[in-house]
Amino acid sequence: MSARIPDTHAEAWALLPWLANGRLPASDREWVEAHVAHCAECRGELDAQRKVATQISRDTSPDMAGTPGSTGYGSTGNDEQRSFNKLWARIEASEGAAPSASGVAGGFSSRTSRTVRWLAAAVVVQGFGLALFGFNALRDNAGEIVTVAEVPAQRLNAPAVRVVFAPEASMATINTLLTHQELSIVSGPGTSGNFTAELSAKAVASGASADSVAAVLSKDPNVTFAQPVAR
Amino acid sequence: MALKSVEFQSPRAPGASPDASERELLERIARSKDQAAFRTLYGSYYQRLSRLLARMSVRREDIEEVINDTFWVVWTKAGEFRGASQLSTWIIGIAYRRALNALRRAKIRPVSDEPFDEDSISVMSTDAAETDGQWLALGLTRLPVEQRMALELTYTLGHSCEEVAAILDCPVNTVKTRLFRARETLKQVLPALAGMSGEKS
Repeated sequence: MSARIPDTHAEAWALLPWLANGRLPASDREWVEAHVAHCAECRGELDAQRKVATQISRDTSPDMAGTPGSTGYGSTGNDEQRSFNKLWARIEASEGAAPSASGVAGGFSSRTSRTVRWLAAAVVVQGFGLALFGFNALRDNAGEIVTVAEVPAQRLNAPAVRVVFAPEASMATINTLLTHQELSIVSGPGTSGNFTAELSAKAVASGASADSVAAVLSKDPNVTFAQPVAR
Repeated sequence: MALKSVEFQSPRAPGASPDASERELLERIARSKDQAAFRTLYGSYYQRLSRLLARMSVRREDIEEVINDTFWVVWTKAGEFRGASQLSTWIIGIAYRRALNALRRAKIRPVSDEPFDEDSISVMSTDAAETDGQWLALGLTRLPVEQRMALELTYTLGHSCEEVAAILDCPVNTVKTRLFRARETLKQVLPALAGMSGEKS
Protein backbone atom coordinates (compact mmCIF):
# COMPACT_ATOMS: atom_id res chain seq x y z
CA MET A 1 0.00 0.00 0.00
CA SER A 2 1.43 3.38 -0.93
CA ALA A 3 1.86 6.13 1.63
CA ARG A 4 -0.93 8.65 1.95
CA ILE A 5 -0.32 11.73 -0.16
CA PRO A 6 -2.16 14.56 1.63
CA ASP A 7 -1.54 17.25 -0.94
CA THR A 8 -4.04 19.56 0.63
CA HIS A 9 -3.47 23.26 0.88
CA ALA A 10 -4.05 23.43 4.64
CA GLU A 11 -1.61 20.63 5.45
CA ALA A 12 1.07 22.02 3.16
CA TRP A 13 0.55 25.48 4.66
CA ALA A 14 1.13 24.14 8.18
CA LEU A 15 4.42 22.51 7.17
CA LEU A 16 5.93 25.51 5.37
CA PRO A 17 8.12 26.59 8.35
CA TRP A 18 10.01 23.30 8.13
CA LEU A 19 10.28 23.51 4.36
CA ALA A 20 11.81 26.95 5.01
CA ASN A 21 14.33 25.66 7.56
CA GLY A 22 15.22 22.53 5.61
CA ARG A 23 14.05 20.08 8.29
CA LEU A 24 11.00 18.61 6.59
CA PRO A 25 11.34 14.82 6.30
CA ALA A 26 11.83 13.63 2.73
CA SER A 27 8.47 11.84 2.80
CA ASP A 28 6.67 15.14 3.36
CA ARG A 29 9.03 17.39 1.44
CA GLU A 30 8.21 15.75 -1.86
CA TRP A 31 4.48 16.41 -1.79
CA VAL A 32 4.74 19.80 -0.08
CA GLU A 33 7.17 21.02 -2.74
CA ALA A 34 4.87 19.68 -5.44
CA HIS A 35 1.97 21.62 -3.91
CA VAL A 36 3.99 24.81 -3.52
CA ALA A 37 5.06 24.59 -7.17
CA HIS A 38 1.51 25.24 -8.32
CA CYS A 39 0.16 27.25 -5.36
CA ALA A 40 1.02 30.95 -5.53
CA GLU A 41 -0.35 31.58 -2.03
CA CYS A 42 1.98 28.97 -0.50
CA ARG A 43 4.93 30.30 -2.53
CA GLY A 44 4.27 33.78 -1.12
CA GLU A 45 3.98 32.40 2.39
CA LEU A 46 7.16 30.36 2.03
CA ASP A 47 9.02 33.47 0.91
CA ALA A 48 7.57 35.45 3.84
CA GLN A 49 8.55 32.75 6.35
CA ARG A 50 12.11 32.61 5.03
CA LYS A 51 12.40 36.33 5.64
CA VAL A 52 10.91 36.04 9.12
CA ALA A 53 13.42 33.29 9.85
CA THR A 54 16.29 35.48 8.68
CA GLN A 55 15.12 38.40 10.79
CA ILE A 56 14.54 36.31 13.91
CA SER A 57 17.97 34.75 13.73
CA ARG A 58 19.53 38.21 13.31
CA ASP A 59 17.46 39.87 16.02
CA THR A 60 19.61 42.15 18.10
CA SER A 61 16.78 44.13 19.66
CA PRO A 62 17.24 45.51 23.18
CA ASP A 63 15.37 42.59 24.72
CA MET A 64 17.83 40.17 23.21
CA ALA A 65 21.04 42.18 23.44
CA GLY A 66 22.81 42.21 26.75
CA THR A 67 22.11 38.59 27.48
CA PRO A 68 25.14 36.83 28.92
CA GLY A 69 27.72 38.06 26.46
CA SER A 70 28.09 41.70 25.68
CA THR A 71 27.71 41.63 21.91
CA GLY A 72 24.19 40.47 21.23
CA TYR A 73 24.04 36.77 21.71
CA GLY A 74 27.70 36.18 21.10
CA SER A 75 28.94 35.58 24.57
CA THR A 76 32.42 36.61 25.43
CA GLY A 77 34.64 33.85 26.68
CA ASN A 78 34.82 35.64 30.03
CA ASP A 79 31.04 35.56 30.59
CA GLU A 80 30.83 31.92 29.70
CA GLN A 81 33.86 30.98 31.78
CA ARG A 82 32.58 32.98 34.73
CA SER A 83 29.24 31.17 34.57
CA PHE A 84 30.92 27.81 34.25
CA ASN A 85 33.17 28.57 37.22
CA LYS A 86 30.09 29.21 39.35
CA LEU A 87 28.51 25.95 38.27
CA TRP A 88 31.70 24.00 38.82
CA ALA A 89 32.21 25.46 42.26
CA ARG A 90 28.64 24.43 43.08
CA ILE A 91 29.31 20.90 41.85
CA GLU A 92 32.54 20.77 43.81
CA ALA A 93 30.82 22.00 46.93
CA SER A 94 28.15 19.34 46.62
CA GLU A 95 30.62 16.58 45.91
CA GLY A 96 33.27 17.87 48.26
CA ALA A 97 32.46 15.25 50.86
CA ALA A 98 33.49 12.48 48.48
CA PRO A 99 35.72 13.96 45.78
CA SER A 100 37.50 10.72 45.03
CA ALA A 101 34.22 8.96 44.35
CA SER A 102 33.44 11.33 41.51
CA GLY A 103 36.87 11.05 39.98
CA VAL A 104 36.82 14.75 39.29
CA ALA A 105 39.52 15.78 41.67
CA GLY A 106 41.79 12.93 40.76
CA GLY A 107 41.51 13.46 37.04
CA PHE A 108 41.69 17.19 37.07
CA SER A 109 45.29 17.91 37.81
CA SER A 110 46.44 17.23 34.28
CA ARG A 111 43.65 19.40 32.90
CA THR A 112 44.02 22.34 35.23
CA SER A 113 43.36 25.49 33.25
CA ARG A 114 45.90 28.21 32.88
CA THR A 115 43.61 30.46 34.89
CA VAL A 116 43.59 28.11 37.83
CA ARG A 117 47.34 27.62 37.64
CA TRP A 118 47.76 31.39 37.55
CA LEU A 119 45.49 31.81 40.54
CA ALA A 120 47.34 29.12 42.43
CA ALA A 121 50.65 30.78 41.74
CA ALA A 122 49.22 34.20 42.52
CA VAL A 123 47.88 33.16 45.87
CA VAL A 124 51.09 31.38 46.84
CA VAL A 125 52.91 34.62 46.05
CA GLN A 126 50.18 36.47 47.92
CA GLY A 127 50.84 34.27 50.92
CA PHE A 128 54.45 35.40 50.99
CA GLY A 129 53.37 39.00 50.39
CA LEU A 130 50.96 38.98 53.29
CA ALA A 131 53.57 37.41 55.53
CA LEU A 132 56.06 40.12 54.62
CA PHE A 133 53.53 42.77 55.59
CA GLY A 134 53.01 41.32 59.00
CA PHE A 135 50.02 39.08 58.46
CA ASN A 136 50.40 35.89 60.37
CA ALA A 137 47.36 34.10 59.05
CA LEU A 138 49.44 31.85 56.88
CA ARG A 139 51.96 30.92 59.55
CA ASP A 140 51.83 27.69 61.44
CA ASN A 141 52.47 27.37 65.14
CA ALA A 142 56.21 27.36 64.70
CA GLY A 143 56.08 30.61 62.79
CA GLU A 144 57.09 29.06 59.47
CA ILE A 145 55.43 30.32 56.32
CA VAL A 146 53.02 27.78 54.93
CA THR A 147 51.94 27.98 51.31
CA VAL A 148 48.26 27.62 50.65
CA ALA A 149 48.68 24.27 48.98
CA GLU A 150 50.14 22.90 52.19
CA VAL A 151 47.37 24.07 54.48
CA PRO A 152 45.03 21.24 55.42
CA ALA A 153 41.52 21.89 54.15
CA GLN A 154 39.93 20.79 57.41
CA ARG A 155 41.73 23.39 59.54
CA LEU A 156 38.79 25.71 60.03
CA ASN A 157 38.98 27.58 63.31
CA ALA A 158 36.66 30.39 62.36
CA PRO A 159 33.70 31.05 60.08
CA ALA A 160 34.86 30.67 56.50
CA VAL A 161 33.80 31.27 52.93
CA ARG A 162 34.56 29.43 49.72
CA VAL A 163 35.44 31.88 46.95
CA VAL A 164 36.43 31.85 43.27
CA PHE A 165 38.07 35.01 41.95
CA ALA A 166 37.41 36.34 38.45
CA PRO A 167 40.11 35.32 35.96
CA GLU A 168 40.91 38.96 35.25
CA ALA A 169 41.23 39.95 38.93
CA SER A 170 44.78 41.08 39.64
CA MET A 171 46.78 39.98 42.64
CA ALA A 172 46.57 43.52 44.04
CA THR A 173 42.78 43.45 43.70
CA ILE A 174 42.54 40.10 45.45
CA ASN A 175 44.80 41.38 48.24
CA THR A 176 42.61 44.45 48.70
CA LEU A 177 39.46 42.35 48.71
CA LEU A 178 40.83 39.98 51.34
CA THR A 179 42.11 42.82 53.47
CA HIS A 180 38.81 44.71 53.39
CA GLN A 181 36.89 41.62 54.44
CA GLU A 182 39.60 40.62 56.95
CA LEU A 183 39.90 37.22 55.36
CA SER A 184 42.79 34.80 55.46
CA ILE A 185 43.08 32.08 52.85
CA VAL A 186 43.53 28.72 54.53
CA SER A 187 43.23 26.29 51.63
CA GLY A 188 43.04 26.11 47.89
CA PRO A 189 42.92 26.21 45.05
CA GLY A 190 40.33 23.52 44.43
CA THR A 191 39.82 22.03 41.01
CA SER A 192 37.95 25.06 39.74
CA GLY A 193 40.17 27.62 41.41
CA ASN A 194 38.14 27.92 44.59
CA PHE A 195 39.77 28.96 47.83
CA THR A 196 38.64 28.69 51.43
CA ALA A 197 39.16 31.84 53.49
CA GLU A 198 38.56 32.34 57.22
CA LEU A 199 37.20 35.47 58.86
CA SER A 200 39.46 37.16 61.39
CA ALA A 201 38.52 37.08 65.08
CA LYS A 202 38.20 40.86 64.94
CA ALA A 203 35.71 40.67 62.07
CA VAL A 204 33.66 38.03 63.87
CA ALA A 205 33.68 40.13 67.07
CA SER A 206 32.36 43.09 65.10
CA GLY A 207 29.39 41.05 63.88
CA ALA A 208 30.60 39.69 60.54
CA SER A 209 29.55 36.17 59.62
CA ALA A 210 30.34 33.75 56.83
CA ASP A 211 26.92 34.50 55.35
CA SER A 212 27.36 38.27 55.39
CA VAL A 213 30.87 38.15 53.94
CA ALA A 214 29.80 35.68 51.23
CA ALA A 215 26.90 37.99 50.35
CA VAL A 216 29.27 40.94 49.98
CA LEU A 217 31.81 38.96 47.98
CA SER A 218 29.23 37.51 45.61
CA LYS A 219 28.32 41.05 44.52
CA ASP A 220 31.92 41.99 43.81
CA PRO A 221 32.80 41.95 40.09
CA ASN A 222 36.17 40.41 40.93
CA VAL A 223 34.48 37.36 42.43
CA THR A 224 32.65 34.76 40.36
CA PHE A 225 31.46 32.62 43.24
CA ALA A 226 31.20 32.94 47.01
CA GLN A 227 29.37 30.90 49.60
CA PRO A 228 29.66 30.29 53.33
CA VAL A 229 31.34 27.06 54.39
CA ALA A 230 29.30 24.88 56.69
CA ARG A 231 31.23 24.06 59.87
CA MET B 1 7.30 48.89 3.81
CA ALA B 2 8.92 45.93 2.13
CA LEU B 3 10.90 43.27 3.84
CA LYS B 4 14.39 43.21 2.43
CA SER B 5 14.90 40.11 0.37
CA VAL B 6 17.60 37.99 1.93
CA GLU B 7 18.23 34.33 1.44
CA PHE B 8 17.52 32.38 4.62
CA GLN B 9 20.34 30.04 5.55
CA SER B 10 19.04 27.22 7.65
CA PRO B 11 21.03 26.97 10.88
CA ARG B 12 21.33 23.28 10.34
CA ALA B 13 21.89 21.59 7.01
CA PRO B 14 19.58 18.63 6.45
CA GLY B 15 21.20 15.50 7.70
CA ALA B 16 23.94 17.26 9.60
CA SER B 17 24.15 15.85 13.10
CA PRO B 18 26.20 17.33 15.90
CA ASP B 19 24.36 14.85 18.11
CA ALA B 20 26.92 12.06 17.76
CA SER B 21 29.83 14.13 19.06
CA GLU B 22 27.68 15.58 21.84
CA ARG B 23 26.58 12.11 22.89
CA GLU B 24 30.22 11.09 23.09
CA LEU B 25 30.81 14.00 25.46
CA LEU B 26 27.82 12.95 27.55
CA GLU B 27 29.10 9.38 27.72
CA ARG B 28 32.45 10.64 29.00
CA ILE B 29 30.62 12.65 31.66
CA ALA B 30 28.49 9.66 32.68
CA ARG B 31 31.38 7.19 32.60
CA SER B 32 34.20 9.12 34.26
CA LYS B 33 32.81 12.50 35.34
CA ASP B 34 35.06 14.05 32.72
CA GLN B 35 35.27 17.77 33.47
CA ALA B 36 36.79 18.66 30.09
CA ALA B 37 33.90 16.97 28.29
CA PHE B 38 31.44 18.77 30.56
CA ARG B 39 33.09 22.14 29.87
CA THR B 40 32.94 21.52 26.11
CA LEU B 41 29.28 20.54 26.21
CA TYR B 42 28.49 23.58 28.40
CA GLY B 43 30.22 25.85 25.89
CA SER B 44 28.34 24.43 22.93
CA TYR B 45 24.98 25.25 24.58
CA TYR B 46 25.73 28.46 26.48
CA GLN B 47 24.99 30.87 23.64
CA ARG B 48 21.92 29.18 22.25
CA LEU B 49 20.36 28.77 25.68
CA SER B 50 21.14 32.40 26.55
CA ARG B 51 19.35 33.52 23.44
CA LEU B 52 16.42 31.16 23.90
CA LEU B 53 15.90 32.26 27.51
CA ALA B 54 16.07 35.93 26.56
CA ARG B 55 13.40 35.24 23.95
CA MET B 56 11.27 33.71 26.69
CA SER B 57 11.56 37.00 28.64
CA VAL B 58 13.56 35.37 31.42
CA ARG B 59 15.22 38.17 33.39
CA ARG B 60 18.86 38.72 32.55
CA GLU B 61 19.87 38.08 36.13
CA ASP B 62 18.08 34.71 36.02
CA ILE B 63 19.44 33.46 32.70
CA GLU B 64 22.75 32.26 34.08
CA GLU B 65 20.98 30.51 36.93
CA VAL B 66 18.64 28.68 34.56
CA ILE B 67 21.56 27.59 32.36
CA ASN B 68 23.52 26.35 35.37
CA ASP B 69 20.48 24.58 36.84
CA THR B 70 20.08 22.86 33.47
CA PHE B 71 23.68 21.71 33.36
CA TRP B 72 23.51 20.64 36.98
CA VAL B 73 20.88 18.16 35.79
CA VAL B 74 23.09 17.18 32.84
CA TRP B 75 26.00 16.51 35.23
CA THR B 76 23.97 14.50 37.72
CA LYS B 77 21.71 12.65 35.25
CA ALA B 78 24.11 12.05 32.35
CA GLY B 79 24.04 8.32 32.98
CA GLU B 80 20.26 8.22 32.79
CA PHE B 81 19.99 9.62 29.27
CA ARG B 82 18.89 6.67 27.16
CA GLY B 83 19.07 8.27 23.74
CA ALA B 84 15.39 8.00 22.91
CA SER B 85 15.56 11.58 21.67
CA GLN B 86 18.19 13.95 20.37
CA LEU B 87 20.53 15.11 23.12
CA SER B 88 19.76 18.71 22.18
CA THR B 89 16.02 18.21 22.71
CA TRP B 90 16.74 16.74 26.15
CA ILE B 91 18.98 19.61 27.24
CA ILE B 92 16.88 22.41 25.73
CA GLY B 93 13.73 20.79 27.13
CA ILE B 94 15.22 20.90 30.63
CA ALA B 95 16.12 24.57 30.14
CA TYR B 96 12.62 25.36 28.87
CA ARG B 97 10.94 23.85 31.92
CA ARG B 98 13.39 25.54 34.30
CA ALA B 99 12.75 28.84 32.54
CA LEU B 100 8.99 28.46 32.94
CA ASN B 101 9.56 27.97 36.66
CA ALA B 102 11.77 31.08 36.76
CA LEU B 103 9.06 33.10 35.03
CA ARG B 104 6.47 31.86 37.53
CA ARG B 105 8.74 32.70 40.46
CA ALA B 106 9.35 36.19 39.11
CA LYS B 107 5.63 36.53 38.35
CA ILE B 108 6.49 37.66 34.86
CA ARG B 109 3.78 37.67 32.26
CA PRO B 110 5.87 37.06 29.14
CA VAL B 111 3.47 38.73 26.73
CA SER B 112 3.32 42.47 26.33
CA ASP B 113 0.05 44.12 27.35
CA GLU B 114 1.15 47.45 25.96
CA PRO B 115 -0.59 48.80 22.87
CA PHE B 116 1.41 48.20 19.72
CA ASP B 117 3.58 51.28 19.45
CA GLU B 118 4.36 52.06 15.83
CA ASP B 119 6.14 55.24 16.90
CA SER B 120 8.89 53.16 18.45
CA ILE B 121 10.00 52.11 14.98
CA SER B 122 12.86 54.32 13.92
CA VAL B 123 12.04 56.48 10.92
CA MET B 124 15.63 57.63 10.71
CA SER B 125 17.04 54.32 9.69
CA THR B 126 17.71 53.84 6.01
CA ASP B 127 18.55 50.19 6.56
CA ALA B 128 15.50 48.19 5.55
CA ALA B 129 16.72 45.09 7.38
CA GLU B 130 17.14 47.10 10.58
CA THR B 131 13.64 48.55 10.31
CA ASP B 132 12.16 45.13 9.55
CA GLY B 133 13.98 43.76 12.56
CA GLN B 134 12.44 46.42 14.79
CA TRP B 135 8.96 45.59 13.51
CA LEU B 136 9.55 41.92 14.04
CA ALA B 137 10.92 42.44 17.56
CA LEU B 138 7.75 44.35 18.43
CA GLY B 139 5.60 41.69 16.81
CA LEU B 140 7.27 38.92 18.77
CA THR B 141 6.37 40.61 22.04
CA ARG B 142 2.71 40.06 21.14
CA LEU B 143 3.10 36.28 21.01
CA PRO B 144 2.52 33.89 23.92
CA VAL B 145 5.77 32.35 25.08
CA GLU B 146 4.90 28.93 23.62
CA GLN B 147 4.48 30.43 20.14
CA ARG B 148 7.67 32.46 20.47
CA MET B 149 9.55 29.32 21.46
CA ALA B 150 8.17 27.39 18.51
CA LEU B 151 9.39 30.15 16.18
CA GLU B 152 12.81 30.43 17.82
CA LEU B 153 13.39 26.68 17.94
CA THR B 154 12.35 26.29 14.31
CA TYR B 155 13.96 29.30 12.72
CA THR B 156 17.01 30.08 14.82
CA LEU B 157 18.00 26.66 16.09
CA GLY B 158 16.72 24.76 13.05
CA HIS B 159 14.77 22.02 14.82
CA SER B 160 12.29 19.76 13.08
CA CYS B 161 8.61 19.79 14.05
CA GLU B 162 9.05 16.55 16.00
CA GLU B 163 12.06 17.93 17.90
CA VAL B 164 10.18 21.11 18.80
CA ALA B 165 7.31 18.95 20.10
CA ALA B 166 9.74 16.95 22.25
CA ILE B 167 11.33 20.11 23.70
CA LEU B 168 8.00 21.79 24.45
CA ASP B 169 6.54 18.48 25.62
CA CYS B 170 3.43 18.68 23.46
CA PRO B 171 1.96 16.85 20.44
CA VAL B 172 3.29 17.56 16.94
CA ASN B 173 -0.06 19.00 15.88
CA THR B 174 0.09 21.46 18.76
CA VAL B 175 3.43 22.73 17.45
CA LYS B 176 1.93 23.20 13.99
CA THR B 177 -1.01 25.07 15.48
CA ARG B 178 1.24 27.31 17.58
CA LEU B 179 3.35 28.24 14.58
CA PHE B 180 0.25 28.77 12.47
CA ARG B 181 -1.14 31.22 15.04
CA ALA B 182 2.22 32.93 15.45
CA ARG B 183 2.43 33.48 11.71
CA GLU B 184 -1.08 34.94 11.64
CA THR B 185 -0.36 37.26 14.56
CA LEU B 186 2.86 38.50 13.00
CA LYS B 187 1.00 39.30 9.79
CA GLN B 188 -1.35 41.55 11.72
CA VAL B 189 1.53 43.63 13.00
CA LEU B 190 3.89 43.32 10.06
CA PRO B 191 2.27 44.82 6.99
CA ALA B 192 5.05 43.60 4.71
CA LEU B 193 4.36 40.00 5.70
CA ALA B 194 0.63 40.39 5.22
CA GLY B 195 1.21 41.58 1.67
CA MET B 196 3.65 38.88 0.72
CA SER B 197 1.32 35.92 0.96
CA GLY B 198 -1.75 37.66 -0.33
CA GLU B 199 -1.72 36.02 -3.73
CA LYS B 200 -4.32 33.39 -4.25
CA SER B 201 -3.66 30.24 -6.20
